[in-house]
Amino acid sequence: MRNDAPPARPIVTISDLVIEFRTRRQRVRALDGASLSVAEGEKVGLVGESGSGKSTLALSLARLLPTNAEHVSGDLTVAGKSIFAMDTASLRAVRRRTLSYVFQDPIGTLDPTMRVGRQISSVLNGVSQRSAVASSLLEVGLTDHKRIARSYPHELSGGMAQRVSIAVALAAKPQVVIADEPTASLDASIRAQILDLLVSLCAGHGTALVLLSHDLRAIAHYCERVAVMYGGRVVEDGPTANVFSEPFHPYSRALMKAAPGQERLGGRIEPIPGVPPILGGREERCTFAPRCRFALESCHSERPGEQRTAGRRVICHRVEGGLPPLPR
Amino acid sequence: MTPAIELRSVGVRYSSGPLWARRHVQAMEDVSFQIAAGETLGLVGESGSGKSTTGKVCLGLVRPTQGQVSFDGAPFASRRTTRGRLAAVLQHPQWSLNPRLHVGMSVAEPLAINQSSSSEERRRVVASMLERVGLEPSLAKRYPHQLSGGQRQRVAIARALVTHPRFIVFDEAVSALDVSVQAQILNLIRELQEQAGFAALFISHDLAAVRYIAKRVAVMYAGSIVELATAATFYARGLHPYSRGLQAASDLIDEPDARLSGLTEDVVREGCALTPRCPLAFDKCGRERPELRPLDGDLVACHRAGGA
Repeated sequence: MRNDAPPARPIVTISDLVIEFRTRRQRVRALDGASLSVAEGEKVGLVGESGSGKSTLALSLARLLPTNAEHVSGDLTVAGKSIFAMDTASLRAVRRRTLSYVFQDPIGTLDPTMRVGRQISSVLNGVSQRSAVASSLLEVGLTDHKRIARSYPHELSGGMAQRVSIAVALAAKPQVVIADEPTASLDASIRAQILDLLVSLCAGHGTALVLLSHDLRAIAHYCERVAVMYGGRVVEDGPTANVFSEPFHPYSRALMKAAPGQERLGGRIEPIPGVPPILGGREERCTFAPRCRFALESCHSERPGEQRTAGRRVICHRVEGGLPPLPR
Repeated sequence: MTPAIELRSVGVRYSSGPLWARRHVQAMEDVSFQIAAGETLGLVGESGSGKSTTGKVCLGLVRPTQGQVSFDGAPFASRRTTRGRLAAVLQHPQWSLNPRLHVGMSVAEPLAINQSSSSEERRRVVASMLERVGLEPSLAKRYPHQLSGGQRQRVAIARALVTHPRFIVFDEAVSALDVSVQAQILNLIRELQEQAGFAALFISHDLAAVRYIAKRVAVMYAGSIVELATAATFYARGLHPYSRGLQAASDLIDEPDARLSGLTEDVVREGCALTPRCPLAFDKCGRERPELRPLDGDLVACHRAGGA
């Protein structure tokens, strides 16, 4: 708990956000009342299986959702302004100055027809001198900046290209960086370097970081807070150390048990049975109940509400009913 | 017992460029190991360390420029002789399965090529195979794009197993999957290996997945094996500084001093290839190339290992 520290101003506030995708045959609810807030300069990890709504949440921050997405209800504010109520001009300003993204595939993110130097200078917004490009390349650890600035994205290795896209993301000194699986396509040893770089640059600029990842160990290492997503909601949200050592939500626990690395050598890991749900509309029960080992009767019939306990927000009937903590 | 696969000082050199300006890359150098039936060898290292080349050599897809590969005690003669006895499961099932074939056809294809069997019989084998990997037999009528990533990887495993191979190469087979699906697939591989007793080479840069699946681990750097140890030794101590660097990088051990510095582009011609990045390097490392030597039953190529 950080109650004694002066409360940092939230830079991103998401409250009860509902997003649906329309396809010809059906409606799919990707976010079913997701809530999350990110304070200035905070590092938040976002975890969950594919289909849990992580990426939809990340893309909604700058309204980058595809055209068949529909904002049903709830609100999302960035730097105090509601993203969904914004006109195009101010949305452009937010995308240019306040938020930026680092995606999974760095070579695909960069423009293949443009030299790296020009891509960076186009973000720098007026300050397009060579020295500014050079300094932002140096900042991301590319000492050979002259050659890199002249290269096209396909001439770079994956790690170098990811460094460049971090340089692009941070060039305009944004207030929030959203990194969606920034290291999934990279090698294990380069992963640590790229995350070290991203985290230290964000800390240096006072930029908040939202890190989406499958890699629980990386989240535990770099983020001070973790939000676990399931079925389009943030089901548990709290300080990383606490959530990892004693998860309150059965899904958080199952996710941590399923990751190899902590079991005894030769021991077994427990996969989560079943598959994540695809929602057609508002769910009137706990979406994790069919896969949950600890489900109660009410879990199958009632939508769980948000509980605040011990510095955490949890959406679980067990916690609501004050039941004892989950076994290790 | 003859090992399922054995490599004896295998080297692979890739050449490119025109004849007057030939460029060579030594992708593998003096690599030796063997894998017995029912055993899994984990192969770890960074990209460019020669992991995938090693996998291709084991499958007979790349002909070594030096050394020998023997499969079931006999050297690779032609691919026809090993057909159906070798298989591979690759990282991206959406690319390794034919998008225009029903997955049932994909699974039946190795059977159709190898054995004379009636289509009725093949259908039965495919159905039981899909069941063994935990899929509904009715999924045989679906196309790969109609399946989830985990289901597709199960199909890829079913196809690899359908001819009862002696040896399977898993090249980054779980790297593209979600945490929970990854756990399911890892458990499936372990169960199937207990039942079918195939030998396996599990190539991955995910040290935690390798720890779960392999009893022995080989670590490659710059084309050579720098450590070949039991999982117990590798994950408890890590004999080679490179192994410890990999573990620190993936947060399996908390040892900031073990971290390696970034990859340099210059090729080391003399001494140990790791010298410019190694936190423990001393003058001898720059002069003399360390041999792979036994140390308490494991193998390590480092001047420092074992107390020096």
